[in-house]
Amino acid sequence: MLEIKGLRKIFGAGKVALDGVSFEVPAGQMFGFVGANGAGKTTTMRIVMGVLQADEGEVLWKGRPLTFAERRTFGYMPEERGLYQKMRVGEQIDYFGRLHGMDAGAVGKARDELIARLGLTERVGDTVESLSLGNQQRVQLAVALIHDPELLILDEPFSGLDPIAVDVLAEVLHERARGGVPVIFSSHQLELVERLCDSVGIVAGGRMMASGSVEELRDAEGRRLRVVVRDPKPGWADGLPGELSRDGDRDVLTVVGGDDQTVLRRAVDAGHVESYGVERPTLVEIFREAVA
Amino acid sequence: MKGLLMVAGREIRTQVRTRAFVIGLIVSALLTGGIAFAPKLFGGPDEYNLGRVGGQELAVQALAPEAKITWKTYPDERAATTAVLDGDVDVALVDGTRVLTNGDIDDQLGLLLQSANREAQIGAAGVTLTPLEMTSVGADTRYESARQGIATVVVLLLFFMIMSSVMVVAMGVVEEKGSRIVEILLISIRPWQLLGGKIFGLGVVGFINLTAVVAAGLVGAFLSGFATDFPPGMAGIVVSAIAWWILGYAFFAALAGSLASLVSRQEEVGNVLQPMMMLFLISYGVSFFASNSPDHPVAEILSFVPPFSSMIMPVRVAASEVAIWEVLLSGGLMVLAVAGTLMVGGRIYERAVLRTGRRLKVSEVLRTK
Repeated sequence: MLEIKGLRKIFGAGKVALDGVSFEVPAGQMFGFVGANGAGKTTTMRIVMGVLQADEGEVLWKGRPLTFAERRTFGYMPEERGLYQKMRVGEQIDYFGRLHGMDAGAVGKARDELIARLGLTERVGDTVESLSLGNQQRVQLAVALIHDPELLILDEPFSGLDPIAVDVLAEVLHERARGGVPVIFSSHQLELVERLCDSVGIVAGGRMMASGSVEELRDAEGRRLRVVVRDPKPGWADGLPGELSRDGDRDVLTVVGGDDQTVLRRAVDAGHVESYGVERPTLVEIFREAVA
Repeated sequence: MKGLLMVAGREIRTQVRTRAFVIGLIVSALLTGGIAFAPKLFGGPDEYNLGRVGGQELAVQALAPEAKITWKTYPDERAATTAVLDGDVDVALVDGTRVLTNGDIDDQLGLLLQSANREAQIGAAGVTLTPLEMTSVGADTRYESARQGIATVVVLLLFFMIMSSVMVVAMGVVEEKGSRIVEILLISIRPWQLLGGKIFGLGVVGFINLTAVVAAGLVGAFLSGFATDFPPGMAGIVVSAIAWWILGYAFFAALAGSLASLVSRQEEVGNVLQPMMMLFLISYGVSFFASNSPDHPVAEILSFVPPFSSMIMPVRVAASEVAIWEVLLSGGLMVLAVAGTLMVGGRIYERAVLRTGRRLKVSEVLRTK
């Protein structure tokens, strides 16, 4: 389990990048990190990977402060992709595997599997600079995965991938998570995060606005009732909590909290009820709410 | 150490496999070999073609053993005149008494002919001459010009060979920093392994280059016969130049690597390396001066002061006699300087290489952790 406790980071010009970010990712969980640009996602990930030092707070791995030796077992994909442009794909993956302490045999086996999995088999002898951006990203991912990491931290791994590559990557990450590896990734594609992740952290302005499983976040957001009434009597919703909007000859009432039975009775009295139901907020809505 | 060697291995493989390296190696080797061979083509030993009409040949060859003398005989003075005018012979001796020339005679050849004539006449009179015995009471100056030439070659060799390798180190550091590869690399290895491996690996590549050039130069010199002019202790001069290259390279590469880690873009490399370039150009300037005046106090003093010593001492060794203790003292000081630069440079590198973006100052890097 990775625990992040009260991280604070202030950059040179007094800009507060992180203001007490805390969350934890248990073994085998996929954690989606969402937030606007500049919210602090990348800074947090860079601190976990030791690229940056936090001013306050700590990162615990299996209950103890993270050491260099343990970090060596992690896989990292930085926000700005970094590969040797003139090096061949296969050699590049091998090199990073060897640096992580793998022997030549293990590297070769892991590399062949990854390359096949990520659809790079035909590109293995090409230099990185000759690849499309999407393929470069796959190589980057292979570099992060080659040593069978014990924790994965991926900054925007899905950006710039075509839908098929997104599926392949999602599947690969799922596999690792199922194998007991905590996986943390950031993304702006909220539907994707909602679909893939066990838990989500929403950051804004260097603070963790909400974190937990998607279910928990939804519950926290509260049940939301939506009623559509055709040709209602004017003023029928006066005194009811919620927001009323008009769509042609229909009134739409959205209520958070409140007594659902009262709302239903008033709606039936007011006109023809076309629909009545409890709505679950999407991650996009939760995100907007949290960041607002 | 293992991490360092892996980094070094990658640098070597990457460099050695590029076309630029292979072509550069062949071209520089051919060029040096060619230059060493050039005296044979352009200068070489003196060569005289002499014509004769009647009389005896003069014993010119005995007076100038190294020159190549060829005699041709002509039936009469008219034929000899034509040969002189056509340039078939340099001059023609007629009846052992007159010399036909085309304009002024070559000074050296004139003296040779006159001396040979004098000796022939004196010998005919039954007198034997005892040649003057020459004894030098000053330094052995026989090899002075050869040593100066070799010293100049050492200066140029060190200048190009140190600079070319050092620039590759600086550009490699910025490549890794600018592209953020360093962020992934430093998960699995320490900064000193990364910088050390780069300096070591590119040093091996530079060493291959240097030895290829030196070997080509020596082969050229032996083939052309130029090597006969080599002063005694030539092997020592070559070994010293190579050893000093290693020290000079290590120093400047450590400096360049740490300075380059302050910037994130290749365009800024030239700028950030300026302090190092100053040191390097001063070393170069003084060592060039030392190749002509190896015993000048400025050259002597600076040949002990790192990093200037890395280029000046090998030049002094080539250009004049330097006591072994002087070389060892200077070498020891340089080793200390290299160690110090590696330590401080490693510190700067370690703290700067992950801070991408604007150019950093050395002072702020050393101040903050």
